Amino acid sequence: MKILQIVEQAFRTLVEEQDDTILWLTQSMAGAGANLEVLLSGNAVYYAVMKNRQPAVKIGDWVQQEPADIPSDLGRILEQDIPVYVLKHELEERGLNVDMLRPSIKPIDRTQLVSLYKQVDQVWQW
Amino acid sequence: MENKKLTFAFMDPPFENERTITFFRIVDAALDGGADVQVFAYEGAAALAFALQKAHGNSVHHRDAEEEAHPLTKDWIAALQKKAERLGRQLDWVNCGLCVDERGVNESIPGCKRGSPADLWRYASSSFNTLVIGTR
Amino acid sequence: MKGYLFIQSQDQFYDARTSAQYKLVVSLAEAKESVSILLVQNAVLATRKGVESNIYADLNQHNIQVYADELSLKQREISPEELSDGIKPVKIDVVIDAMLNGDKVVWW
Repeated sequence: MKILQIVEQAFRTLVEEQDDTILWLTQSMAGAGANLEVLLSGNAVYYAVMKNRQPAVKIGDWVQQEPADIPSDLGRILEQDIPVYVLKHELEERGLNVDMLRPSIKPIDRTQLVSLYKQVDQVWQW
Repeated sequence: MENKKLTFAFMDPPFENERTITFFRIVDAALDGGADVQVFAYEGAAALAFALQKAHGNSVHHRDAEEEAHPLTKDWIAALQKKAERLGRQLDWVNCGLCVDERGVNESIPGCKRGSPADLWRYASSSFNTLVIGTR
Repeated sequence: MKGYLFIQSQDQFYDARTSAQYKLVVSLAEAKESVSILLVQNAVLATRKGVESNIYADLNQHNIQVYADELSLKQREISPEELSDGIKPVKIDVVIDAMLNGDKVVWW
């Protein structure tokens, strides 16, 4: 059974959880044997072009020690041979483009998105 | 159809969003539809089964706690458990353990277990179908 | 025939994402897939006659069935007579029917 994980809610938990909880869930489920593919959609297309770890947040005397590292999380997902897709038009409508993508992330268009929906068994929109 | 087991993943906490009651209505309908149900409660949803939820009165409504009869999600889960038992269906519920820990909502009502994303995959791979209701 | 049921909880007055979502369902329908949408929660606010949008008529023209959750309609005091053409009020059970049919059921 192949599942398309659609990650859409970007930046929601990066400080509190020190990761994106759906990218984390994806890594964890893949480790348990799940057959997954990932689509970065909506504002989560930003994840596909990020290069740096998140800035450490300070609240009063509290200083974050281990900020989220989206490039590393995506790197681990790719190392697990999980395909990661991003929609070209969603990059472009945000002023981004395919030249900014990290290697191994696959840009797709609307027609390819339909094919992606058809080729998986379930679509999990997070 | 032999396998009428359905899995639901849900992420929202109690008392925050209309998604919560829609999710519970869908699970209720699944039992009516003859399905066994498995729920994976992720993030804020790990508090839905928190045993220390407490109903309160409401002075604006001019009602004490008994009169107000405030809804609690732990009671909705218990009601679904009773319904499943009455119908001879199975209702399994797993809370994401890390989500429970960081929120301090470890005390769940009976029948709701602690688990991990591996349980979501175990549930989904043993089900006929799965619905994920993400948060916004 | 297995198809798709998209459960739309986002409303077009507030969520810009709905436009891209409806483009996707039209693309799926044009690819000969069986597609339905169930409007729930505030998504039903756009079902009333007189709303300045013919998105549902457009979806119907692509053979996309549009349902609206009866409870969500009742909560907002939208009667069946006040619904735009092509929108069918239904119980939430349609979600389970679709899941048990093996459809890909997706929450928006």
